[in-house]
Amino acid sequence: VILNVDLGSDVPIYQQLRDQIVEAIADGVLIQGSPLPATRALAADFGINFHTVNKAYDLLRQQGLIRLNRGTGAVVTSTAADPAFRAEWTARARTLLAEAIVRGLPADDVLATCRSVLDSFRTAPPEDTP
Amino acid sequence: MTVAIVLSSALSALVLVLALMLPSIAGRTVPFGVRVPAQHADDPAVARQTRIYRRRVLLGGIAAAAVGVVIFALTGETLLLPLTVFLLVGVWYGCFFLAHHEIQAAKAAGRWYEGLRQGMAADTRLRTDPPRFPWLWLTPALIITVATAVIGAILYRSMPATLAVHYGAEGVPDRWAAKSVGAAFSLVFVQIGVTALLGAIAAGIVLRSRSDIDPAHPVASARWHRSYVALGAKALLGLVAMIDLGLLASSLVMWTATVTSWAPLVVVLPILAGVVVAVVVLARNNREPDRGEEDTGLTHRDDDKYWRGGLFYVNRDDHALWVPRRFGIGWTVNLGNPRAAIFLAGIGALIGLAVALRFPG
Repeated sequence: VILNVDLGSDVPIYQQLRDQIVEAIADGVLIQGSPLPATRALAADFGINFHTVNKAYDLLRQQGLIRLNRGTGAVVTSTAADPAFRAEWTARARTLLAEAIVRGLPADDVLATCRSVLDSFRTAPPEDTP
Repeated sequence: MTVAIVLSSALSALVLVLALMLPSIAGRTVPFGVRVPAQHADDPAVARQTRIYRRRVLLGGIAAAAVGVVIFALTGETLLLPLTVFLLVGVWYGCFFLAHHEIQAAKAAGRWYEGLRQGMAADTRLRTDPPRFPWLWLTPALIITVATAVIGAILYRSMPATLAVHYGAEGVPDRWAAKSVGAAFSLVFVQIGVTALLGAIAAGIVLRSRSDIDPAHPVASARWHRSYVALGAKALLGLVAMIDLGLLASSLVMWTATVTSWAPLVVVLPILAGVVVAVVVLARNNREPDRGEEDTGLTHRDDDKYWRGGLFYVNRDDHALWVPRRFGIGWTVNLGNPRAAIFLAGIGALIGLAVALRFPG
């Protein structure tokens, strides 16, 4: 999977990496069992400090999306949503939807956007088989 | 005498051709070792410096050759001829640095990076499913090394009691050693050292070199990197085989006590051929067409601050050991990486071994 880092973005690099890996999983490009590079190797490809990649992987691990293997990298896992995740995700969705409302986006547009984003996931063929 | 002239002329010609080709084979967005945004790759300042650089290299090359001729005419010392090659490389880097400096000034004055979104890209598949090391290409070098040892073992009884271990520039032996396993097989040890070292470098390039993907066209760029590292490793392994072949030929000259003024040629010709092929192959740098991949809107980040004079890469935050070179072609080590010290120590040890063994050349 291709990962891009935008240095001009307000979003920290580790967050950008984490978000793109989540999207790749949602897309189906990464599936359960797909390997991810070791933190040092990925950091070397970007020419960034490996602690940055570590931080991204740590977030993904806490969220149950990857399993870390010492030294060899990480593997994508799937964890079903639990009530705690639902509550936390709903809170974030609430903030995001509130932003749309306060900026005057019509509710129909917001719903249509949600629908098309949801439909866009799981359409890409997986790049690695477990 | 003639051999030394032929060899230094051939080497000088190779360096000169490489120097003149450099602007065409270096990455488009790194002209003379300065990172520039794609929209400034064909900037008038770059075009102007390229013209000036080529003229300087050509004049410098002629001057270096003239110096070589004058030195030879005055001293008649053929051992000084390779110096012209070093002189030429020095002139080449000087011309490169002047162009580097001017383009850097134009880039700063024109604020080429202002308002651009800088970024980096990586392809995780290059790590999780890395390009394969071309093991098959290592076999010629191994076969030649084993063959040298076997031929040496067979010939050992018939070898003369004293072996020529060093040749003067005329191809006439000027240093001798009593026959012993150490003296007879000295070049086999060099073969093993060279094969191990260059094999390790080839493996390092395939598995560990920085992909340096263009964030504007990451997919095509990653595809190109995958094929280029495989090509680079094969070129290096081919070079190893040719070096080992030269050492085999040199061993045969030593073991059969052959005296010929062309003795240095049997060592250097295969190596020179290997170098020429490797250079031609590696010169196919940055040639991957974009194939209509949509531009992501990102520009490769300006990483000039990690380069010293466009020559040395020093970045402590970077865990990469091998990064694409800016002066010349191929890869260079990240001097900010502690492992670079280990690598350089290995090179130093090998050169020390070669000097200690006084192998001909």
